[in-house]
Amino acid sequence: MLYRQRTLETPHGDLETPVLFPVSNVGKRSSDNTPAYADQIPDLRTAMVNARAIRQREPQWERLLDGSSLRQEMGVPDDTIVFADSGGFDFHTETLDTTPEKTLETQIRIDADVFGTVDLPLSREDRQAKNQRRINESIQYALAASDAHEGDSLLFASVHGHDPETVRNSIRYLDRHGDFDGFALGSLVPIRTDYRKTTKLILAARLATDKPLHVYGLGGLVYQPLLLYLGVDTFDSSSFIRSAGNRNYLIPGFGGREMHRIEGLEYLPCPCPVCGPRTTEAVRADRNLLVQHNLWALTIELRRFRYMIAAGEDIESYLELRFQGNDVTHRAYRMAKQQVRRLA
Amino acid sequence: MSNTQFTITDQQRDYSQFGLSENPFPYSPVPDDDPAVYCGQEHATREISETVSTVLSTGKSKHLVITAKYGNGKSHTLKYTRSLIRDRSDVIVGYVAQPGEGFHDIYQEFIYDLGFDRIQRLAYEYLAVLSCEVTEFEPTGPDEMQRLIDDGEILLSELIPEAIRRLNEITAFADFARAMLHMVYEDTNLYAWQWLTADGIRYEQRKQMEIHSALDDDTSSVRAFTALKNLVVELGYTGIFLFIDEFESISRLSPKDKQTTLNSIRHLMDQNSHGLCVLFGCAPEVWQDVMSEYHAFSERIGKEVALKPLSDENLRYLVRSYLELARESGEETLAPFGEDGLNVVLQYSQGNIRQALSICSQTLDQAVEQDLDVIDAAFVEAQISNRS
Ligand SMILES: [Zn+2]
Repeated sequence: MLYRQRTLETPHGDLETPVLFPVSNVGKRSSDNTPAYADQIPDLRTAMVNARAIRQREPQWERLLDGSSLRQEMGVPDDTIVFADSGGFDFHTETLDTTPEKTLETQIRIDADVFGTVDLPLSREDRQAKNQRRINESIQYALAASDAHEGDSLLFASVHGHDPETVRNSIRYLDRHGDFDGFALGSLVPIRTDYRKTTKLILAARLATDKPLHVYGLGGLVYQPLLLYLGVDTFDSSSFIRSAGNRNYLIPGFGGREMHRIEGLEYLPCPCPVCGPRTTEAVRADRNLLVQHNLWALTIELRRFRYMIAAGEDIESYLELRFQGNDVTHRAYRMAKQQVRRLA
Repeated sequence: MSNTQFTITDQQRDYSQFGLSENPFPYSPVPDDDPAVYCGQEHATREISETVSTVLSTGKSKHLVITAKYGNGKSHTLKYTRSLIRDRSDVIVGYVAQPGEGFHDIYQEFIYDLGFDRIQRLAYEYLAVLSCEVTEFEPTGPDEMQRLIDDGEILLSELIPEAIRRLNEITAFADFARAMLHMVYEDTNLYAWQWLTADGIRYEQRKQMEIHSALDDDTSSVRAFTALKNLVVELGYTGIFLFIDEFESISRLSPKDKQTTLNSIRHLMDQNSHGLCVLFGCAPEVWQDVMSEYHAFSERIGKEVALKPLSDENLRYLVRSYLELARESGEETLAPFGEDGLNVVLQYSQGNIRQALSICSQTLDQAVEQDLDVIDAAFVEAQISNRS
């Protein structure tokens, strides 16, 4: 098993990993604003924000320039540890509307603790020549950010590649030629149903360096235990918001269930502060409650894993049990286990 | 073992009574992959040396047919020649045991004989050469190149697009260039290998490597072979040696397939006036037919050399050489074979090397079993009559 626990020093305090960064949609023009959660979930003083989106939403950006703090805008405590990615996943067009310097400036302005470098994600459909160019450009942007970066915030180089050599080679190249506090592996979302490939890529990244590894976009209920098992240090997820948008109720070990399918049940099975004291009807009626519960579900998943470690339980048997309910994810875990064991 | 019961034992026979450490004669009629003994047929070795040396010294292509009746040492000669040049660092050598159904099969056997590792090393070797030109690094070979990539000293995403572009120019075969370069990616190298060996791969796997065509006929195989040759010449090798044994088996093909096969080989030769040496082993009667029916093909092959049956002198030389391999004293002698015993071997085998070696092997074993001092004519005769 490659699971590991570390303490990363950030400007807003120590960050105990492995840890989830819930995606906050602050800056997005959307009615689905992320409800405040930090007060209710004590071990989730983290947030993932999109630097580009924040900068593009003018009224808010003006307020930030005038001295307002991002944490105030988000309604979270001042000691919330913020990971600001560049917003690469929006760049599906050819022209890049930001620069490493501009992104860095935004990340500094919002007082983020972890900076993700500007990157161009890969598409499964694109020609290889195009993807090779995007991989290369992302590396050059990361190096530019490394040159321009100073201060106590952690700089994570964004890395892309749909094969293990490219991932390993890119990380080692960046490690050699730049100054990074960690690496963040992207472009996995489009291939996430290909579990074998995804775990291979994560493993390649994990073993290419000893520095902290973030995986973009895969911190949902299904992947989270796999990421922990593979020793990923930080991860993010927006699944709790997206699921709530689809009226999906997340239950660790089962995944999502559509609320309207749950009938004749006065109380939900979850003991979290949202569901515990409320009726099924009350949770169903309020999207914000559903978001909060879903986030609790992700947190409980992480807490359970940490508990198993602390209690000295055999993690592989725990995961075996944990994935039993679903053939696809069970196979995925088996594949990950084989790959991990081959390393031993 | 002439009795009716098997005697199976893992205990080695004791050959020390003859001053031998083991029975040095091959048990199986198939020649060793790396024959240690070659019974020189001077005219043949002269022709082969001449052909091989011309290619090595001038880089110009030259081809040769070695004809011999079954058992007279064609395969042995080809394999012996191969063993002499295989270890040279300036050539690529591949052996094809028989031509199969056409050039597609010849190409496939050739690539299989080179093997996955060799092909993969060629890919790294090419990247090494390219790195010397386009990066600050000067890797001296495939291993160092692999290390530079693994350690992240050289950036793959910078090198590969340029490598594809140039290899495309060198080989004039874009799909071949992609397949070669995919040999360095662990996710796709098995697919790349499948494509390169003309094994046929699924469309999705080809798509993953952006390979558009399939290597599935003689024409594309000739193209791929030529592309490979162009690559190795670019890498500084003198060229490729292609050994095709049992060429006589093309006579089994339909007239149309035979024609196609011969035409493909002819095209291969025409496209590669430099850096290619094809050595054929063929039964004389089939070669006669090819000569008379397919001029376009046969006139491209410079020479034919015929292996003769063993002479009395050849046989003695052969037996002495084999015995020397196991001789503990280092002496050069025919013992325990007696002169008259060898005469019987020669008579019975009619100079056929395979037969002669097989009789020698068996009589030596029997001599040990029966605690004999000398293998004389009577003993050899007795063994031969036991065989039949
Ligand atoms: Zn709940």
